[in-house]
Amino acid sequence: MCCNENFRERNEGEKIQTILDLNDISGMKFFDPHVHMTSRTTDDYQAMADAGIVALIEPAFWLGQPRTGADSFRDYYSSLIGWERFRSSQFGIKHYCTIGLNSREANNEKLAEQVMEILPQFIFKEGVVGIGEIGFDDQTAAEDKYYRLQLDLALEAGLPVQVHTPHRDKKKGTQRSMDIAIEHGLAPHMVIIDHNNEETVKEVLDRGFYAAFTIYPFTKMGNERMVEVVKQYGTERIMINSAADWGISDPLAIPKTAALMKQSGISLQDIELVTYRNAITAFGQSGQINENDFVAVKNIDQSQKFASNSILRGGQQPRIDKNSIIIS
Amino acid sequence: MLLIDTEGIKSLNTLFLKIIKRSLTEDALSWLEAKVALIKTEEKTVQLNMSFAHLPRFASRALVGLEAGEHDEIERLLPGFKIDDWSHDRLCRVWLLMQVPAQDQSAHFNKINGLFTAAEMNEQVALYSALALFQYPELWISRCEEGIRSNIGTVLEAIMYHNPYPAAYLPEPSFNQLVLKAFFTEKDVKLIVGLQERLNKSLSDTLEDYVQERLAAHRTVLPEIYQLIEQTKEKI
Repeated sequence: MCCNENFRERNEGEKIQTILDLNDISGMKFFDPHVHMTSRTTDDYQAMADAGIVALIEPAFWLGQPRTGADSFRDYYSSLIGWERFRSSQFGIKHYCTIGLNSREANNEKLAEQVMEILPQFIFKEGVVGIGEIGFDDQTAAEDKYYRLQLDLALEAGLPVQVHTPHRDKKKGTQRSMDIAIEHGLAPHMVIIDHNNEETVKEVLDRGFYAAFTIYPFTKMGNERMVEVVKQYGTERIMINSAADWGISDPLAIPKTAALMKQSGISLQDIELVTYRNAITAFGQSGQINENDFVAVKNIDQSQKFASNSILRGGQQPRIDKNSIIIS
Repeated sequence: MLLIDTEGIKSLNTLFLKIIKRSLTEDALSWLEAKVALIKTEEKTVQLNMSFAHLPRFASRALVGLEAGEHDEIERLLPGFKIDDWSHDRLCRVWLLMQVPAQDQSAHFNKINGLFTAAEMNEQVALYSALALFQYPELWISRCEEGIRSNIGTVLEAIMYHNPYPAAYLPEPSFNQLVLKAFFTEKDVKLIVGLQERLNKSLSDTLEDYVQERLAAHRTVLPEIYQLIEQTKEKI
């Protein structure tokens, strides 16, 4: 999740311009285990597909402002397994999601109670690969309560948990999130601790959890720092994501970081682990990820594209020439 | 506990109306006065909801332009509270909120709470600016905490800047959250009313962790963060 944070930082310092050359990563495939496509455009889907992203996970989160009724949550969850999944498939990208009550909105207890009633309806839907993103934001008592209740739900359902760690007071918030997961009987390998940084990664890995890193400009990790983290900590249980949303974020964060890693001499095998394989291993524990589907979603769309009435059948979106001033 | 007593509210009410009268056209003023009369007597909220939204079509978005002595008078009545950089429509809205009948506590709360639930950005700014002026300030603690979760810069500033409410009413964890959020969103923490009085160890510990995190990420640390940590040490 993002904020309108750090505008000053964005504008200071010398910018070194380096261009992403897709040839550097041609033939590689990527899995983005955290990206909020609902807030992105079709241009992003096209660019992601072009850059080699074959599948993604869209965690349920807040929408930039608090919802005021339970039906808004129901419609949102339903859109994650409905319209958004379809939209993604039109670009040949396999779409999964995690379902949960985010930390910010857990603070509206009256509503949170109703949302907890809705969640069980969605967690066993096809393609739901975990409970998420849940955890702490302000670290209030209400956040604590609904984090715990959702951990119980995950345990009962045998689903992995995608844990959002707070922007503010991150180190303590991360430790507390792990302590509570253990207290509730979750195995560390079923829990993906997200939005790590240099200060949190060691403990997360030492305790056996998955450590996800969000490559997000200004507020989270930069990818040069990420290269250093991989050099220092290796690739076991480490994955990266874009967490792209309605903030200034980058849906190509994974391919770009892969290109940078390659330039920095990290082996292709290691790059594959942190940009593809480890996320599938972690969220695949839901039993909901089948890599053959990544290919199938492409093939289906390609065949529909060539069918005579492809648009009516919902085939892949036709390309437009972005350099032309004519829109036809 | 009240930040300002009934007499103080009355004086502010009079002062605000004086400023408002300077800025409104005759037609706008009679519209506003007619609406206030209806708001004071209506059982439901139709007139309140409509006129609260409608106000900027009658009041301008220009700055209020205080006359000599008015700034100091406001500071005397409600220390820390400043309206110098407010627009006319914001002041009119806040003044309108002060006219909502308060004899029945729960009706009063429901009426104003209803405005919060459907407010657009400028309305939110006015609503949060008025927290310290509401008759039952302790009812708005969780609303204020919710406001701190906002990602809208102007809304955060309405809560953080020149607003005596947070320091007076928020419990320690949410006041600390306000300060952290101010740093994370690059707000000017010097404008937070009562920050020095509310410094505490928990806030300072968290700020120290934040410094470590910034340094590990090869990022700069604002000098104000070190200052607050030092000031807390001196205080404890």
